[in-house]
Amino acid sequence: MTNSNQTTTRKPGIPAEQKPVPLALTARISTLASNQSTILIGVMVLLIVVFSVLEPKFFSALTASNILTDWGSVVLIAVGQTFVVISGGIDLSVGAIIGLSGVVSAWTMANVLKVDQTVSGSDASGPLFIGTLVSVGVGLLVGLTNAFLINKLRIVPFIATLSTMGAALGLSVIISSGQPIGSANNFDLIAAMDPKTNPLSWALIVVIVVVTIAGLFLHKARFGLYTYAIGSNTFAARGAGINVERHLTLVYALSGALAGLAGMYVYLRLGAGSPSSGTGRELDAIAAVVIGGASLMGGIGRIWGTVLGALILFTVQSGLIMVGVAPDWKKVVVAILIAAAVAAQTLQSKNGRK
Amino acid sequence: MKRSYRAITTVGVAAAFAISMTACSTTASTGSSTTATAKKDISIAFVMGAESDPFFQAMKVGAEDEAKAEGVKLIWQGDPAKYSAETQIPIVDAVLAQQPTGLVLIPTDPKALQASVAKATAAGIPVVNVDTHVGDLKDVVSFITGDNADGGAKAADALATQIGYKTGGSYKVVVGLTSATATTNVSRLDGFKAQVAAKYPGVEIVDVAYSESNPETAATNVSNWLTKYPDLNGIFAIDGTNASGAAAALESKGLSGKIGLVGYDAYPDNVAKIKSGIFTALVAQDPAAEARLAIKTLVEFINTGKTATEHEVVIPNVVLDSKTSDADFAKYTYVK
Repeated sequence: MTNSNQTTTRKPGIPAEQKPVPLALTARISTLASNQSTILIGVMVLLIVVFSVLEPKFFSALTASNILTDWGSVVLIAVGQTFVVISGGIDLSVGAIIGLSGVVSAWTMANVLKVDQTVSGSDASGPLFIGTLVSVGVGLLVGLTNAFLINKLRIVPFIATLSTMGAALGLSVIISSGQPIGSANNFDLIAAMDPKTNPLSWALIVVIVVVTIAGLFLHKARFGLYTYAIGSNTFAARGAGINVERHLTLVYALSGALAGLAGMYVYLRLGAGSPSSGTGRELDAIAAVVIGGASLMGGIGRIWGTVLGALILFTVQSGLIMVGVAPDWKKVVVAILIAAAVAAQTLQSKNGRK
Repeated sequence: MKRSYRAITTVGVAAAFAISMTACSTTASTGSSTTATAKKDISIAFVMGAESDPFFQAMKVGAEDEAKAEGVKLIWQGDPAKYSAETQIPIVDAVLAQQPTGLVLIPTDPKALQASVAKATAAGIPVVNVDTHVGDLKDVVSFITGDNADGGAKAADALATQIGYKTGGSYKVVVGLTSATATTNVSRLDGFKAQVAAKYPGVEIVDVAYSESNPETAATNVSNWLTKYPDLNGIFAIDGTNASGAAAALESKGLSGKIGLVGYDAYPDNVAKIKSGIFTALVAQDPAAEARLAIKTLVEFINTGKTATEHEVVIPNVVLDSKTSDADFAKYTYVK
């Protein structure tokens, strides 16, 4: 954070010499129009309009609450994934970490703290707090394991995190015997504050704070600068004196810890730790990151893009259910949207930005 | 078959490989291998669908009990999480290479596993199918299953009772499924629909959706339905995953007990929620009984060359609700 003055004035990824010059108003508008976030916000608005026309009940705080509740868990792992992807890697283990951390946390609350489903509401606060620490700790451990496999054993991130994904999935099944473990719960933390007017929940506020801090780390701090540098060119980053291994360890640890936090979020939502609760979520996270404009080649990506990408993903999901699209078609529609989003970006980067 | 565990398809082959490696390490619980009563050294290989499914965990307990009682060795195998033929076939091959005396197989695909059954039979290893069956049953000693269509019908009855069905009334219900390809889902839904059509014409099934084996997705589906249908009367959650997700969605919206919820599979966590009024009823299968009968049949067949078990056996489902006795709860709750 110390060098924030230096880094705020430019977008990471653009070499320092090319400081943006003040633009004329028309140029500003045209930059804005081709801006990634503007496009994503445009897509969001379009989706909301279309779904609301097809199903008027879609335009409500209730729906906003549904979408944001889904968004909460995936945006956490997608933000971690953004750091990993910008650093030039990939983390396939995050979905499995959601399951494992939720199960270990539930197991700890049930067997160590000896609390069951009957402990709820504010009585559950203590156990849930400890459960959160356990959950984040489990995610952190898996993240550090990923870093060890990648840095010390020189396994490429795809395979390293694929292995930990399998191991985490297997362990969560062994610990839970494959079934949900019920323990303390407090649905008030995850329910909308006022379903009619205010879709936010306490759990969501925590998520938003964490995501904001992560965004500051990526865009305003040396931590982010290093991440972009490594993803753009590892050799140059090393040459510039960045300890690449140490930094990648932090990046994968961050991704793991955020996935652990997501595990607790899902636990809160289900009131139980379930080994299959992260099934397929790593792909949702990658989709959100890609829709948000990050490049799987590394060096490019924005937290804000990921946040919007995840929001779009769940707006589509909720909208299709509300409109009543046959479930068989849902995957096809989502797939087309992802392809369209990425194609739009590719074309835009060819035409717009040089 | 219980449900289709679709793991992460894009990672495809590599994932299947990695996961089946894990599978190979979680092996064999053995009973005492020889006793005075066993006529020969019998080892029964039991290849199930997906270890992470409580349904198969309950089956495992039944299989272990019976193997111990019969004094035979049990080789318990299967993929840890993925219910699919491409991961199951190599596991069956590996198990057959161990030359067991008998094989209990839960084929994940009726056609794809037919060759594995033929291979076992050719090697003189008798085969029993449990839960699901291969297309051609002529090589199979016996096929033992729960009745999914009957389970669906019983779920319709339980839901109709909960929503206070009266002739002439009109009611809206939704059904949470796992995927379009899970055959148990299909037969349960068919049974449910047939019963609704026959006895409860006022009930309209307004929507269905898939959970993709993820309870959080199941919760998402139900949350959206609750917004779309503010006058929803009931939910049929077709398996354990959907049951957990639907229960969570109702709880977080403060609607538990106000909307009828009939689930499937007696996970301990869900059984506890019958007592707290969140579930109206749970349809429970008896996988342990299926497994016990399968082992018993095979041992009998190996020792005597014939078996008293019918060629096809259907073990009925039971409905657990607030009126169920504690003894029955204990009997049908899937074990940890």
